[in-house]
Amino acid sequence: MKKILVAGFLAVSLTIPAAAFAAGTPDFSKVKVALVPGGAHPYFQPWIVGGKQAVTDFGIGATTFNETGEWDQTKQNAALDSLAAQGYTAFGIFGVSPTDINTTFENLKSKGFAVGSLASCPAGTVNKADFCLSTDTGQAAYLAAKAVIKQMRGKGNLVHLTGNAVDANTVRRIAGVKKAIAETKGKVKLLTTITDIDKDLQTAQKAVSDLLAAKGKKINGIVTTAYNPAVASTEGVGRTKLPIKVIAIDDDKKILNAIAKGIISGTVVQNPWGQGYVGSYVLAALNSKACTMKKSGLYVDSGSFLVTKANLKTYDAQRLAKSKSILKDFKTKYLTCA
Amino acid sequence: MKLTRKITSILSDQRVVLSIITLALFLFFGLKNKAFFSADFVLFPLLRDAATITVVGLAQLCALSIGHLNLAVGRMAAVSAMATGYSYQYLGFSLPLGVLVGLITGALLGALTGWIVVKSQVNAFIVTLAMDFALLGFVTFIYVTFTPAAAFTTKPAGMDFWRNTSLAQYCIAGVCGPKIFPMMIFPMIVALLLVGFMYGKTRLGRELLLTGSNLRAAKLSGIPVDRRVITAHIFSGTLAGLAGVMLGFTNGSFSAAIGSEFMLPSFLGPVLGGTLLTGGSVAVFGTMMGTLLTLVIRQGLSVQGIGLETLNIALGLVLLLALSLGQIQKMFTSIRSRGRT
Repeated sequence: MKKILVAGFLAVSLTIPAAAFAAGTPDFSKVKVALVPGGAHPYFQPWIVGGKQAVTDFGIGATTFNETGEWDQTKQNAALDSLAAQGYTAFGIFGVSPTDINTTFENLKSKGFAVGSLASCPAGTVNKADFCLSTDTGQAAYLAAKAVIKQMRGKGNLVHLTGNAVDANTVRRIAGVKKAIAETKGKVKLLTTITDIDKDLQTAQKAVSDLLAAKGKKINGIVTTAYNPAVASTEGVGRTKLPIKVIAIDDDKKILNAIAKGIISGTVVQNPWGQGYVGSYVLAALNSKACTMKKSGLYVDSGSFLVTKANLKTYDAQRLAKSKSILKDFKTKYLTCA
Repeated sequence: MKLTRKITSILSDQRVVLSIITLALFLFFGLKNKAFFSADFVLFPLLRDAATITVVGLAQLCALSIGHLNLAVGRMAAVSAMATGYSYQYLGFSLPLGVLVGLITGALLGALTGWIVVKSQVNAFIVTLAMDFALLGFVTFIYVTFTPAAAFTTKPAGMDFWRNTSLAQYCIAGVCGPKIFPMMIFPMIVALLLVGFMYGKTRLGRELLLTGSNLRAAKLSGIPVDRRVITAHIFSGTLAGLAGVMLGFTNGSFSAAIGSEFMLPSFLGPVLGGTLLTGGSVAVFGTMMGTLLTLVIRQGLSVQGIGLETLNIALGLVLLLALSLGQIQKMFTSIRSRGRT
């Protein structure tokens, strides 16, 4: 899985003209950027490619990718500390615990490091990192739910499949889906929200299997806001051939194939490559003292895109354009550079 | 000949072997990459984590002392931390009062577990496993129902002090403490002293160990074994609660994730230190050394830039080492006894 994703994003990145966005870049050669997800997950693999591309385009000293956090905040903190000890001075972090990560950000910033919150912002309204470049998880879930409701012709029973119930991002996703359902004024009912099934694909497959066996005929639509449930529901609906509309998340090969074959209606893709690429640039700009944030802790949406059969072949270009646009916004609106 | 006997005598003590291995690995990692000696980024956080995990190890040690396993140690920590977080967020409790709430919660959970074990006569393994599942559901329900972001985030005055402060900030006659020692080691030291004193110097401790060593003999000796089983679980729950609160302080909030990674380290520290899984023998200081060893290996490899898979292989090897140490110890004991005869 990792190899496929890395190869895919490598192919995408090679199509970008070298130094395409790099005009007028200050000297970042002494900056070492660490991109640190909460743990191993296919979603973050494009960060590696985005980070490497940023090294090529902007002359950053180095970027590294460290996934040894194992979805435990204590272990992620230890990984960050060991990277700091190795000389990394700028950190792009997906915090394991959105409620604890501000403490980690504060700790790193107090030591003079540049810190970006990537792919997830801290819970609450305060962000102690220099910036947050992330999918608006609530908005993405809302977008996905609206899309599936449209496919359901605005009525019927909807099921929401998602990740860890006690994760602040899941709380936002559940709220986003509920918001879209509320707008139908009772025409669409939330049959159930199944949480805690993003641990691995097997867990998700079992949950989807049980769901379809027990309530398959009552379900008109499924919206998934986590990676493994998305793959599992794609497989499940394809296998059972039930007339259920599915909007998945992310662009796993199985999901894209299912969209092409008309098994599922679409997927909401995020922009992890852009997070790694633009995030690395901004972190290097801040750590080298070439630039400062106009507003510390600023939230920037890294973009989420609805992909259906109609834009299956063009969405990646749309995503790349979004990355360019975010980079431009940072350079012209969000950063003050000497 | 005398020297050889003296060396074998020293090496037959598992704590000594563990200390030598830990020190050797510490120096090895440091000499290989000087970054490992960084006080700010490696040693201070390592000791802060070691403090919490040692207390978790002591919680497991209390259950192991009577030959039981506490599989709910992590979830007891989670519920205790949750009670502390709730008391800060909704009841406006001060820091020490919130800690007390956490400790009492842990003690009550331990008492309930012990009581179920005694009354049902079901193996502690099964009871604590069931307790773990029940508490997992309870924790999820409370956080989802009572908090907007699945965590209690109110920080009472003094919480950051425990997280960030080192002994370097305390000076006597111009001499300051070492920068590498976090304040968080003090709760660990208190726990170590109390548990060590109890098992080493008190009648209660001896009764607990005898209960673990031979239940029937303990009964025949007039030891109230049912009460001792409950007592051991109360100690286990209280220490798990303390560890949960310590992790909440370290992380900066009280969330359901607290304790979810406690299970393996809770066994690793005591077993590496020389505590028997079958009961009757505990190694309090050894628990701290076992914990330190695992953290030194993990952080040492991490500073070398080693990937996730290798890290886990190395930690697996530590488990094997735990078993081997027992055998090595036996070997030295046997050599020593042969030397005497």
